[in-house]
Amino acid sequence: MAMVLPPNVSEKNFQKALDAFAGVVGRQWVLSTEEDRNTYMDSYAPGDGDQHIPSAAVGPQSAEEVQAIVRIANEYKVPLWPISRGKNLGYGAAAPRMSGTVVLDLGRMKRILDVNERFGYCLIEPGVGFFDLFAYLQEHKIPLWMSVPANAWGSVVGNALERGYGYTPYGENTRNICGMEVVLPNGELVRTGTGAMSNSPCWQLFKYGFGPSWDQVFVQSNFGVVTKLGMWLMPEPEATLGLNIQLPNPDDVGWAIDELAPLRLNGVLQQSPSIGNSLRTAAAQSQRSQWYQGDGAMPDDVLREVLDKFHLGWWGINLRLYGYDDVNEAHAKLIKAAFAKHTQKEFEVVKWHRGDPIENSGAGVPSTTALQIINWRGGRGGHLGFSPVLPPTSEHVLKQFHSTKKRYEEIGVDYYGSFTLFERYTTNINMMIYDRDDTAMTTKVRSLFKVLVADAAKEGYSEYRTHLSDMDDVALTFDFNNHALLRLNETVKDALDPNGILAPGKQGIWPKAFRGVRA
Amino acid sequence: MRTKPRFRALAPFMIFAVTMSAAIAIGMARPGFPQVKRADDSPQQLEEGNRLFHARCGYCHLAGGTGTIMLGRRLGKDRALLESRTDLTPEYVKKITRVGLNSMPPHTRIEVPDSELDLIAAYITRPASARVQLPPNRATHE
Repeated sequence: MAMVLPPNVSEKNFQKALDAFAGVVGRQWVLSTEEDRNTYMDSYAPGDGDQHIPSAAVGPQSAEEVQAIVRIANEYKVPLWPISRGKNLGYGAAAPRMSGTVVLDLGRMKRILDVNERFGYCLIEPGVGFFDLFAYLQEHKIPLWMSVPANAWGSVVGNALERGYGYTPYGENTRNICGMEVVLPNGELVRTGTGAMSNSPCWQLFKYGFGPSWDQVFVQSNFGVVTKLGMWLMPEPEATLGLNIQLPNPDDVGWAIDELAPLRLNGVLQQSPSIGNSLRTAAAQSQRSQWYQGDGAMPDDVLREVLDKFHLGWWGINLRLYGYDDVNEAHAKLIKAAFAKHTQKEFEVVKWHRGDPIENSGAGVPSTTALQIINWRGGRGGHLGFSPVLPPTSEHVLKQFHSTKKRYEEIGVDYYGSFTLFERYTTNINMMIYDRDDTAMTTKVRSLFKVLVADAAKEGYSEYRTHLSDMDDVALTFDFNNHALLRLNETVKDALDPNGILAPGKQGIWPKAFRGVRA
Repeated sequence: MRTKPRFRALAPFMIFAVTMSAAIAIGMARPGFPQVKRADDSPQQLEEGNRLFHARCGYCHLAGGTGTIMLGRRLGKDRALLESRTDLTPEYVKKITRVGLNSMPPHTRIEVPDSELDLIAAYITRPASARVQLPPNRATHE
């Protein structure tokens, strides 16, 4: 991909900035060849990803080095795009929102600074991956469980900062954040919560500190670079009890949500189950060309054939109860009774007790096999996620499901959706899978995405997270009082980051210096 | 303050590596493989390449991993597991790591520095004399 300089920065000054970065981190950790730049492009972009071209990357090893880099970036007005491990796959991966931005790759900062078994937390740096932390806990026989997303190649910190999800009772990963160390856009180092005291023993215990609570201000944000993060981890339970079921009909998701939502709210069910359409499983186990070669969306009768072959229903649900055996059994009875009102089908029951192999426990065990789905269309596979948040009722869920499926069929993309249920909302994660080099297909996917954002906005549904290319569109759907929230975000941005050097455009928040870049 | 440990699942591979080193030391050859000594083939380097392969590539390229599954579909099961392949060159391994292939994304020089990639490539393309039967039920990551 061609070299793109940051806006308003001369080639000479850009080179001076890179030289100054090299003075901080060493020449080896300033990556600026064409091949280097390409490695930071969005590896799953629909098409070439040429709206988000990095100009270089720099890899610090400490918060002090991050501070020095941020100060140099201010001096030369060179924008930085912080990444933890760069695996925000489906949302832009390691690529920056604005072409010409230098990627600030924190992947070398991978220390596990503390794990506290008694109180269930860790303090880690952004380069620590899910596999790293899992291996550490196993190695030291620490009975704490992680919340792990479906694809666990990425960073624990990065995922929590993007509000990723796992499947245990600690599955809302951003909720587990307790205390951060952050480099501000002017290079100053701050600690949030009680970490703002130089000697607090409660940094990873008490989230709020005194006065405004800042942790969530640095989540999905461009107000600072998080260099350390406290995360709560779940104490290993005595037992778990899994209840798996396949529901045969598309509309079964409606009653399933209505039955599960009150059980999730009252704590009978403490984890957040994902109710996924079974194309998810089929795509992990086969390729589309085995079943259908047509251009449009795969017809329902072909899908039925696929599901029959794998003994799947239209929706698959895996529930998991965590805690004490007797309590789990009592809760399982309530769930079974709720489902028995609607279906004759029995749950498959999976029991685990402390000491059994962890793979069958319902603990977060890192894996990358979920990435298998991107091979559904073959070629250079990629995926985009469209993920609106809805109230957890059958009225909302069925309406959204049918309207989304109809859009997929009109535009000719295979429907792939799921509903992850939390206490008071459900996130409707829809995937679009494509071959990046099939221009007709990626054009369809882009247009489908735009339509879905607009449809959801009409219903008042926001997205919980989105791809770089759609951040402005999604930010603009927050339209109360003529986009007062965006004005607030940009007022704060300009105050903290007058030169606009930190992640311009992230989440639709543009600093004054680059506001003209907003499409 | 604790430092990051090596992965627990590495233990079986250390035994493997020791066996491998011994095999090289006594010049053990297996029929059908040429015996070519290369600069990167010292036992210590191959052992380090083995460790790094599991740490950096093991997410997807061990038994049951997503890369192994995809390669199996494309090339057949006998060419699915990278560690068992005998048809790759170091140059090819290094290039694919940097530019990606099909669903495999490219890897940056921060995720896998050049010095590590040299050792990984040397390990994957190690000569016949350094290959032993892979143990069953290998772990899926380092």
